[in-house]
Amino acid sequence: MPEIKVTPLGAGQDVGRSCILVSIAGKNVMLDCGMHMGYNDDRRFPDFSYITQNGRLTDFLDCVIISHFHLDHCGALPYFSEMVGYDGPIYMTHPTKAICPILLEDYRKITVDKKGETNFFTSQMIKDCMKKVVAVHLHQTVQVDEELEIKAYYAGHVLGAAMFQIKVGCESVAYTGDYNMTPDRHLGAAWIDKCRPDLLITESTYATTIRDSKRCRERDFLKKVHETVERGGKVLIPVFALGRAQELCILLETFWERMNLKAPIYFSTGLTEKANHYYKLFITWTNQKIRKTFVQRNMFEFKHIKAFDRAFADNPGPMVVFATPGMLHAGQSLQIFRKWAGNEKNMVIMPGYCVQGTVGHKILSGQRKLEMEGRQILEVKMQVEYMSFSAHADAKGIMQLIRQAEPRNVLLVHGEAKKMEFLKQKIEQEFHVNCYMPANGETTTIFTNPSIPVDISLGLLKRETAIGLLPDAKKPKLMHGTLIMKDNSFRLVSPEQALKELGLAEHQLRFTCRVHIQDPRKEHETVLRVYNHLKGQVFPFFFYPPRNGLELIILR
Amino acid sequence: MSDPGPALSAQKSWFIARARHRFAMTRECALLLPRVCAALADPRQPGSDDTCLEKLLDWFRTLTEFDPAVKLVQDNPCLTEFITSVLALPEPSPSILSFTLRLAGILAASESRFQHLQQEKLLVRLFGGDGPLSSAVWEDASVRSGWVEGVHSMMHHQPALHFLCNGGGIDVIFALQGDPSLFVASAASRLLVHMLILSVETETTKPLSAKDCDWPACAQMIIKRVEDSLQSSSASHVEQSLKLLTSLFGSCRSTWTEVLWLGIAKQIESFLTEKTVQVQHMLANLLLSMAWSPVFCDSEGSFWALVTSALEHLTPVQAGPLAVGILRLYKCPQDVRIQALTVLLQPMDCILRAASQPLEYAGLLDESVSDPATVEGLLSSKSSCAGLLCQTLAHLEELLSLIHLPVDLPYASLLRSLMTILQFCNGFLSPASPLGSTISRILINCFRVQRSALDVLAALSERKGCDTLIGSLFDVLLAYLESPNTSPTVLKKTFQATSKWLVRLHELSCSNSQWQQTEKILEDVFLVLQKRLCSPCWEVRDSSLEFLTVLIKSLRDQDEFRQSLLSSEVPRLTENLLEDPESYVRASAVTAVGHLAFITYFAPESPVIGNQYDKENTVAKLQEILSTDPEGFPRRAVITIFTKWLRQGCTGQLEDTEQFVSRVIQTVEHDLDWEVRLGGLELVEVFCSQTICQLGPPKCSYAPVSSAVTSSIHQNKSLQVFCRAKLFSFLFRSLCDCDKPVGQRACDILLALRGSFYPISTLKDSQETGDSPAGSGIAWLQRTLRQGSLAQNFPTDGGNGVDFEDPESMMLALGTIDLEELHDELNKCSDHVEKSPQSLLQDILATVGTIEENEADCY
Repeated sequence: MPEIKVTPLGAGQDVGRSCILVSIAGKNVMLDCGMHMGYNDDRRFPDFSYITQNGRLTDFLDCVIISHFHLDHCGALPYFSEMVGYDGPIYMTHPTKAICPILLEDYRKITVDKKGETNFFTSQMIKDCMKKVVAVHLHQTVQVDEELEIKAYYAGHVLGAAMFQIKVGCESVAYTGDYNMTPDRHLGAAWIDKCRPDLLITESTYATTIRDSKRCRERDFLKKVHETVERGGKVLIPVFALGRAQELCILLETFWERMNLKAPIYFSTGLTEKANHYYKLFITWTNQKIRKTFVQRNMFEFKHIKAFDRAFADNPGPMVVFATPGMLHAGQSLQIFRKWAGNEKNMVIMPGYCVQGTVGHKILSGQRKLEMEGRQILEVKMQVEYMSFSAHADAKGIMQLIRQAEPRNVLLVHGEAKKMEFLKQKIEQEFHVNCYMPANGETTTIFTNPSIPVDISLGLLKRETAIGLLPDAKKPKLMHGTLIMKDNSFRLVSPEQALKELGLAEHQLRFTCRVHIQDPRKEHETVLRVYNHLKGQVFPFFFYPPRNGLELIILR
Repeated sequence: MSDPGPALSAQKSWFIARARHRFAMTRECALLLPRVCAALADPRQPGSDDTCLEKLLDWFRTLTEFDPAVKLVQDNPCLTEFITSVLALPEPSPSILSFTLRLAGILAASESRFQHLQQEKLLVRLFGGDGPLSSAVWEDASVRSGWVEGVHSMMHHQPALHFLCNGGGIDVIFALQGDPSLFVASAASRLLVHMLILSVETETTKPLSAKDCDWPACAQMIIKRVEDSLQSSSASHVEQSLKLLTSLFGSCRSTWTEVLWLGIAKQIESFLTEKTVQVQHMLANLLLSMAWSPVFCDSEGSFWALVTSALEHLTPVQAGPLAVGILRLYKCPQDVRIQALTVLLQPMDCILRAASQPLEYAGLLDESVSDPATVEGLLSSKSSCAGLLCQTLAHLEELLSLIHLPVDLPYASLLRSLMTILQFCNGFLSPASPLGSTISRILINCFRVQRSALDVLAALSERKGCDTLIGSLFDVLLAYLESPNTSPTVLKKTFQATSKWLVRLHELSCSNSQWQQTEKILEDVFLVLQKRLCSPCWEVRDSSLEFLTVLIKSLRDQDEFRQSLLSSEVPRLTENLLEDPESYVRASAVTAVGHLAFITYFAPESPVIGNQYDKENTVAKLQEILSTDPEGFPRRAVITIFTKWLRQGCTGQLEDTEQFVSRVIQTVEHDLDWEVRLGGLELVEVFCSQTICQLGPPKCSYAPVSSAVTSSIHQNKSLQVFCRAKLFSFLFRSLCDCDKPVGQRACDILLALRGSFYPISTLKDSQETGDSPAGSGIAWLQRTLRQGSLAQNFPTDGGNGVDFEDPESMMLALGTIDLEELHDELNKCSDHVEKSPQSLLQDILATVGTIEENEADCY
């Protein structure tokens, strides 16, 4: 029976890093190739040795698909393609292809900065990897090879994020990556058509949550920033170069404009120009509002947000600074944090999650006395705020997507086991489909019932109609012929045509069998009785009356 | 193996001592641990982050590796209490239970701690039949994985072995080999191998032989199970045992493995011939792991006969990896090698024959050894053709990449076959033979095969014997370079192969003086390169520029090359690409222009002089990129090229160079990209060493406080040059850079400079700033730097009267500032504090009770 196999190497009952292997109709696809930022050794990458025992990855995998530019979805890609040795095609959307190298560079910098980190890719590797990437447009059907095709759908979440449909023949899988079913300040909501895949692989980060409106969080954020600035304090917002930073920039820019605020807002690295350049370039990927206002004013050309110079950190008076990296684990954001931490008037707002082993993680868990280099103790008096702006679909959104796509099976990834369990039951109850949630390394097998198209030769059809049976869609009927399987296609032709096409000669087989019948009657009578008996038998037996003694010929 | 020597072992023990110190159970850690254990065992607390638990186990692993004593568990009773309390939980969370199993295994790795845990009956409750094994949580893969890992960790001594074997653990592990989780199944297989080796190597009293093989009890149990499953009719059971044997023979080189083999050889052989169980695909790996083991490869007869039989019986795809593995062996019977070579070359041979007319027939293989029917069948099927060719090509590339190839390959025929494949793929060859036309139809536009063939082609350029075909080879390569159908990735590989073969072509034309052919080919290459440099696809423009740089690097001394290049449009187009919209391309253009300069300006016999190649103009353009390009890559490329020029003495006389360096460092010191700043430091480093070499080392030693020295400072031309070029300001500022590698490099350079200016004997006396006029400024500088380079920015005004251009002050600074201390500080990880065990324990404790939303969050 045809089957689809799914094995997560990452994102199976966790949110660490996504890497999911899918086998569909003899094709093998890797969905995302993420990195876990919580580790500094080989554990940060998925264990690719499980993909194929001994063969080459390039021979085994037909393609790799990257859903979006976050490192937990693409961070292991240069390692995979330039160090592990995958040499096949990689697909992602145009914005993802443009932005991916920026984030990879950013992270490479941090890891090189930290001594003792080995086995990490170089700048050249990032470039070589990106050169292997084939960029795709939304809703464009891309033929990976003659049988395998993929199609991207808008996923919201971050600029360029996409869901992908993978199709081989009539079997298909849809993979959501990370997505968001409600539009936010700069992006629209995810959308997929009623593609009825055999399997929908969906993220389930907020499997049990019904999230409050983002507006509330935005209001809260602006209120906190405003209050701090009003009392003369400084606000530090550690961010990664792209993504949330732009969303918050738009938010602050609009607020500053509306409130006519004068305190300076800075963005700390040169990356911002490039980031904003991409937002401008890929304006069609943003939401309707931004696209509409684009005619009068580009939302990413900020009036109030200026480039930051290191010396500004010592300036007196209030200010807001966006600084990288986002987890306060190195570089400029950490340097500014050290300077400002001692003043209770200041505030640090963490707009995203931080892995263990970073200063960000420490302050978020409430630690206020931090040991720094040289055994110095840094006392954190500044206010610490956590505000999640991550854009994932909540339970409602996930159900909505399932309703949209109408899959035959659902498989949950990128979430916590307990929450997945809850959602799984909900999905099974509401949609009456099977829902799976494999752990990393576990293979889920889904059996499919593909309808296999068969071409019928014109000759055969004519012959059938000639005997008076016109085709009727409501009345399926039996048709006899010879099925030729050639080059992955099926054709039903008449036996004569098959012989001709295949260049075969016709042979006739005669099966004989001698049967001794003990019958007291005369020989002739016995033969007649047997003849009459067999004559009464229905198809497929043919009986030829004996010509010469007791000889029966039965053909099937 | 040779003795590593005292220096190396001293280094090793230093590392061990450092690691021991870094991960030791300090008093602070011992105080935190009970609270952490209590928190982890508390079911009311939300589960801790998985990475925290992993890192905690890492720490225990290091702790127990350094110290096998029972003291760890005795001094920290919270550990056993933790295990007890987790066991007492009615419904422990899978992640905590898994953690507990692994922790217990790590602790039980030493015999004394094992006994301690045994006395407390903890191990039996964790790993015995009544433990998690029989509970509902066993359904969770992480628990099973924890169980296997725990057992593996403790499996270092006989008591552990007996504990498991007597408690029925072997059955569990055998069952886990077929676990639905790949991770659990493969861990179970590794564990069995480990146990088998441990049992045989620690419990055997006399050498084992085929006649008298008295396996120790535990080994006997495992071997019996392996033998039984090999005879089973279930393919998955047979596969598991074959996997186990492959891993065993691959990791254990002891002679007893042969005794084990003799018991199962017949059965294994039957898999090849009888094919009742479909496990043939596993046999190649098994035989290969055996062939690499001295136990089997030195044996005579039966083993190699089996390998030969496998090469014959397995399908070409199954036999390929075995064949290539055999061909890499130096010790292997000749007939087996020939057989392996036949398997490997068969598809290439088939291609040649498919393409040739009967009269032209020149296959790779002797007809007597080749049985092409199967391979022909595979090549003429759409589903298998590309796969088989890609596999064969990958194996060939693997062989060709070996420096010493133990076997002679027919290079010329191989090259012809490769060319044929490439021509099939781009539709330039459609032979009349039915097989040929089928294969060419299948391969047309097949990028996978094109990429693999081009890789082999590049590797083949290193081998001699293909010279007669070089002309037609370039026809094929040029067709690929020209064709608009060539995909960017294929084009990149074509460039790589072309550059290698151009070098080969040049070597050839040197020996046979056929310059005309070379010139023609170069002309064609540059013609097509011109087109490619204007491609709308940035990947193509970038690969073209990289190709040009590689060519210049390897052929810049050749007249024909220089002339062909300079008479083409390539240099002009390359300069145009300095303004490409794509930053990667701009960076590659900078590198290419930088290398072009070696031909246009810097070569002693620069063929073209005049307005067309204006050196000043190029330098100015690169300078402009360095100061204005909004992206890092082009700026990094400029600084790298400048350093290269400087290193090769292309920046003119010392005065010019001084001005050049000064200009460059003033541009880069404020660069936002740390790698540009780092590149600037590299430039400074080269400049310093060149200047000191040129002007000679300081003539006398200095002690900065004496007046005699003051005058000699002024005589020190190098120092004056460095001051004038504003090097010191850049170097000292860099010590405070927020990116650590910059500070580290600056510190290294300053240390080297001090080494040049101060002989070690005078240094001790010069640590005081004294009361010289510059003294107070330097003291301030020293204080600033001491506060921790990352703690604050270097003051923008240059700071408290330090004159970085005054030789006397700088001499004083070099002698006074404790650069060693700074060096040590800078070389610490930026997160060394956060990485410490104490920090980890604090983090776990701090996370307990925080809002749950944080954990679920991600990007």
